Amino acid sequence: MSDLIELEELPVEAEHSMREEIRRVSERMRGRRVATSRVMVALCGVALVVAAVPLVALLYQLFDKGLSQIDWSFFTHLPETPTIIAPNATGGVSNAIVGTIALTIYASIVAIPVGVLVGVYLAETESKLATSLRVVSQTMAGAPSILMGLFAFSFLVHDLNIGFSSIAGSFALAVLMLPVIIISTEIAVRNVPNSLREAGLALGAKSHKVSLKVVLPSSITGIVTGCILAISRAVGETAPVLLVIGGGFTNSWQPFDPVSAMPLAIFENAKSEYPSQRAQVWGIALVLVIFVFLLSLTARIWASRKQQVRN
Amino acid sequence: MSVDQIPNAGLLEYEAVMVGDKPTVTSRTWYHWLLLTAVILFAAVSVGFVGTIFWSSFPTWAHHGFTLLTGKGWVSPDGPFGGLAMITGTLETSLIALVIAVIIGLGTAISIVFFIPRRFRTVVATLVELLAAIPSVVYGLWGLLVIAPWMEVTVNPWLNSWPFAKGIFGSPGQEFGTSLLLASVVLGIMILPTFVAISREVIAVVPQDLMEASLSLGATRWQMIRQVVLPTAKIGLLGATFLALARATGETVAVALVAGSVANAQFHLLYPGTSIAAWIATEFGESQGKEISALMALGVLLMLVNVCLALISRALVNRQRRILAKV
Repeated sequence: MSDLIELEELPVEAEHSMREEIRRVSERMRGRRVATSRVMVALCGVALVVAAVPLVALLYQLFDKGLSQIDWSFFTHLPETPTIIAPNATGGVSNAIVGTIALTIYASIVAIPVGVLVGVYLAETESKLATSLRVVSQTMAGAPSILMGLFAFSFLVHDLNIGFSSIAGSFALAVLMLPVIIISTEIAVRNVPNSLREAGLALGAKSHKVSLKVVLPSSITGIVTGCILAISRAVGETAPVLLVIGGGFTNSWQPFDPVSAMPLAIFENAKSEYPSQRAQVWGIALVLVIFVFLLSLTARIWASRKQQVRN
Repeated sequence: MSVDQIPNAGLLEYEAVMVGDKPTVTSRTWYHWLLLTAVILFAAVSVGFVGTIFWSSFPTWAHHGFTLLTGKGWVSPDGPFGGLAMITGTLETSLIALVIAVIIGLGTAISIVFFIPRRFRTVVATLVELLAAIPSVVYGLWGLLVIAPWMEVTVNPWLNSWPFAKGIFGSPGQEFGTSLLLASVVLGIMILPTFVAISREVIAVVPQDLMEASLSLGATRWQMIRQVVLPTAKIGLLGATFLALARATGETVAVALVAGSVANAQFHLLYPGTSIAAWIATEFGESQGKEISALMALGVLLMLVNVCLALISRALVNRQRRILAKV
C-alpha cells in the first residue's frame, strides 16, 4: 500500500523514467519471446521438410525406376530365372499378379461377411461378450502381421496338412482383414442416428428388419470404406503370405495350389544377384503401390461422399 | 472417431425388453442366429490364433526353458536356439526408430495443424495417410537398393570419423551397407506417417477456447503450443508413441531386407543384425521340427510385447479422451 502511495507521489520526471524503464524491459522480454517463437516455428517447418524428403525421394525413385520396367509382357508372361548365359531373361510377373488377386478375393469372400456381421453385433448389443470381443479386435488390428502367417502355418499347413497353398495364404489375410472390417463396421453402424431405429420400430418392424432395411443401408458407405481399407492393407502384406503360400511359378487360381504374390516377389527378388531381376522389382513395387493408392483413394472418396449425403 | 465415444443403440435388445424382462426364445429370429454364428466364428479364430501359436511353441519352452531369452547362438536345425540377438536387435532398432519418428513427427504434426495454410491442410493430411498405406516391403526394397549403397559409400566413413565411433558403430571395414542403423532409419521413416497421422488428430482436437485464451494473454504462437497445446495433448501423444513403438517392434519384411539377417548379439550399430519378426521371416523357409517350434516361441514373445504395447496405448488414448471431455 505504502509503495503505491510513494509511486503516486513521485515527481513527474522520475515517474516518466520509470515507465520508460518498464517499457524497455518488457520490450526486451517480448523480443526474446517472439524470437524463440520464430526459431521454434522454423524448427517445426524444418521437421516437416525432413519428414517429406525421404518420402518424396521414395516415391520419385519408385516411378523413375519402375515405369521403364513395365510393358505388356510384364503383365502377361511367367517369370524366367536369369542364367549366366542370359542374364537379362526375367520374363513377366503374371504369376504374382494372379496370385495376389486370387489371395485377396478368397480372403475377402470370408472376411467381409463375417467381419460385417460381427461389427453389427458389437454395435447393436451390450454384453460382456461384445465388450471383450471389441478389445480383442482392437488388439488384433495392431498385431504384427507375421503372427497371422505363423497361425495359418501351424493350423492349416501343419495341423490340417493341406500344404503350402493360396487357401492358407488367404486364411492368413482374412485373419488380418477381420479386425479392420469389424472396427469400421461397428463405428459406421453406431453412427446411424437412433431416431431412424426408433422410427422403424414404431412402425411395427421387427428388430432384424430394422437392422437390415434401415440401419445397414444408411451405414453402407462407412462399411464399404472399411472393407476397401482392409483389402488395401491385405494386398500389400508380405509377412503373412511369406510363410504359407509356397511361391508357385504358375498362373494358378486353384485354392490348393502354391501361388506367388506381388509383395512376395519383391521380397524374394530384391536380394537377387542379377541386376536385371533387381531392376524388375521396382516395376512390381510400382504396380503394387499404384494398386494400394487407388484402393485408399477410392475409400476416401466413398467416405467424403458419405459426409456430403449427411450435409 | 473411436467406437467408445458413440452410445450403443442396443437395437437387438429392444425386442427382448418389449416382450418381457428376459429375452424369450420367440424374440430370436434367424438374423440373431446369423450374427451369433459370425461372432462365435470370430471368437474361435481369435482363441485359435493365440492358442495355436502358444501350443506350437510348447516343445521349445519345455525342452530349452528360458535359454530362448538369454542364449546367444542360433544353431539350426537342432539348437540350441538363443534369442538374445533378436531381442537386442528389436530393442535397438525400434527405440532408435522411435526417437527419429517422434522428434520429426511431432514437429511435422504441429506444422500441419498450425502453420500450413488451411487450403493445403487436407491435401497434406491425405498425403500423409497415403504414405502410411505404402506396403512395408516397398520401404524395405528402397532401403536395400538405394539407401544401403549410399550408406556404405558416404555415410559409414563419415560416421566412423566421429569420436568414440568404434564403441558406437563398430570397427571400420567390418561393417556392411545393411546394418542395424539402416534398419532403424528405415523403420523410423516407415512409422513416421502413422505417428504423424495420430498425433495430428490428437493435437487438432485441443479445444480452440484454450488456445485463444492463451493468445489473448499475449502468448506467442510457440508459447501457446508449449504451454497449452502440448500439455493438453500430452497423454494422447504418449499413446501415439506407444502405437508407433508397437508397429516398429512388429515390423517384419523391411527389417528382414535391410538389417542384414545376422543373429549376433551386439550393440555396434553399423554391424548387421536382425529382429524377432525379421528372424522368423528369414529362417522359416528352411526350418523344420524343433526350429519351427523355436520360431513359434519367438512369435509368442512378439505377441506378448505387442499386446502389452497395444493395451497401454489404448488406455492412454482413452484417458486423453476423458480429460478432453472434462475441459
